[in-house]
Amino acid sequence: MTVARTVLSRLAPLLACLGLLAIWQIGALILNTESFPTALKALRAIPSILGDKEALINIAASLRRMAVGFALALAVSIPLGLMMGRSRAVASFFNPLLMIIYPVPKAALMPIIMLWLGVGDIAKTLVIFLGVSLPVIYHSFQGARAVEEKMLWSGAAMGLSARQRMIRIVLPAALPEILTGCRTGLVLALITMITSEMIARQSGAGNILFNALDMGQYDTVFAMIIIVGAMGIGLDAAFENLRGRLVRWSEPRFDLPLSFS
Amino acid sequence: MNARAFTSDVLLGIVPIALLIGVWQAIDSLGYAPLSLLPPPGLVFMRLAQQLLTGTFQQEIGITLLRLFAGFSIAAILGVGIGLAAAAHPAVNAVVRPIVRVLAPLPKVALYPALLLLLGFGHASKITLVAADALFPILLSTYYGASMVEQKLIWSAMAAGTPRRQVLFKVVLPAAVPSILTGCRIGLVISCIVVFLAEMITSSDGLGHLLVTAARTFHAVDMFVPLITISLLGLILNGLLQAVRSYLLRGFPEV
Repeated sequence: MTVARTVLSRLAPLLACLGLLAIWQIGALILNTESFPTALKALRAIPSILGDKEALINIAASLRRMAVGFALALAVSIPLGLMMGRSRAVASFFNPLLMIIYPVPKAALMPIIMLWLGVGDIAKTLVIFLGVSLPVIYHSFQGARAVEEKMLWSGAAMGLSARQRMIRIVLPAALPEILTGCRTGLVLALITMITSEMIARQSGAGNILFNALDMGQYDTVFAMIIIVGAMGIGLDAAFENLRGRLVRWSEPRFDLPLSFS
Repeated sequence: MNARAFTSDVLLGIVPIALLIGVWQAIDSLGYAPLSLLPPPGLVFMRLAQQLLTGTFQQEIGITLLRLFAGFSIAAILGVGIGLAAAAHPAVNAVVRPIVRVLAPLPKVALYPALLLLLGFGHASKITLVAADALFPILLSTYYGASMVEQKLIWSAMAAGTPRRQVLFKVVLPAAVPSILTGCRIGLVISCIVVFLAEMITSSDGLGHLLVTAARTFHAVDMFVPLITISLLGLILNGLLQAVRSYLLRGFPEV
């Protein structure tokens, strides 16, 4: 019974994918317009995109920028968030600024940043960096704030310096929360990447999408959507797996993403 | 927190914002950047004030707000409805859960070209995109809020003779309100961001479109104005939601 249940819960997302594709297929058959190809047609167009060398190079370049932007954002945001969580002065210093930046669409900065830095990798990576930073700062902040004072006192009593306390007590204690922020950040990195490419229209996955749209290659449009969607779902699942290993000790949590800020 | 600590916190918070504007002004005054690329802050805010008073600009704001609210309302209704249903009914949960797991991490903006093809270039495609993006935070936080309700409350209500059907609306929904409002807050900010981006990608009106036109004609001042406007809108809407929250949750201990 339990075995059957775990197998079923493993399979459930897969079934959901198949179900959604089936709904798409039926919807397309009913509408029967040229601009809405069936799921099967779109799936059949995927190999030709992935076989195209230029498209592959484009997508790889996008992913590279995304990885660099994401890594830089983590390197800056996690320490900043932890410091904000442990010091009220630091928190009240940065909080209003972050509050103002929060509703600014980061990908919308693309045209302005392009004006200053050109259309190269730096501009696109910077936009991704900005997009990822905020949720990671926020979750690290929340995580560090919730650390039990007693543990810090014990650490101090045993002679740990402030910096050692930060690395050996606050960081591990806040890790589950930090990783939640990283998960949100990872999906946001992908979203920001695609959006900024749609706006800049120079290269990358977002550009392939809209070029195909302009040229009326609707199969390619929908195939690209499947590819991008699969990237999002795949990255999220891979990160979830990693998170499960890193914070196995923390209390079991829901398997759904809680915050998609 | 006493009043004195509060004022010092506010003062401390103003520092980085003042610094940012100061550095921005300094870069211009010292001639590190050409004014055409980075217009000085005074000029940008003057332009913003001037634009806010013109009818055409107000119209663009109106169009953006219309799309934002339409999308957000759809997301709120669907999100709260589906979230409650999933929390209340195991069968619904078994269907909704895997679908949400698949759709939540999917970058919704990638669906935009498909929406354009299906719904055209007008309001409908943008509203749908906003709704799709704002839906999941609201749905998920409703679901968590509703499934975290203390079982004792439900038992008490049933012991007091509340029919099963009404328990959902009399006990579960009110208990989930704080969590739902948190989800709405995230959803609202996302709506602001997404509506602007959708207008930037393809549109003939709205704030996002203004930015793109300014970018095409290299009017740096006019590029800053819509960006600051959407950020202000986000802050104002956030404040309004906060007011609604403190009204709805009056008497609740602050969480």
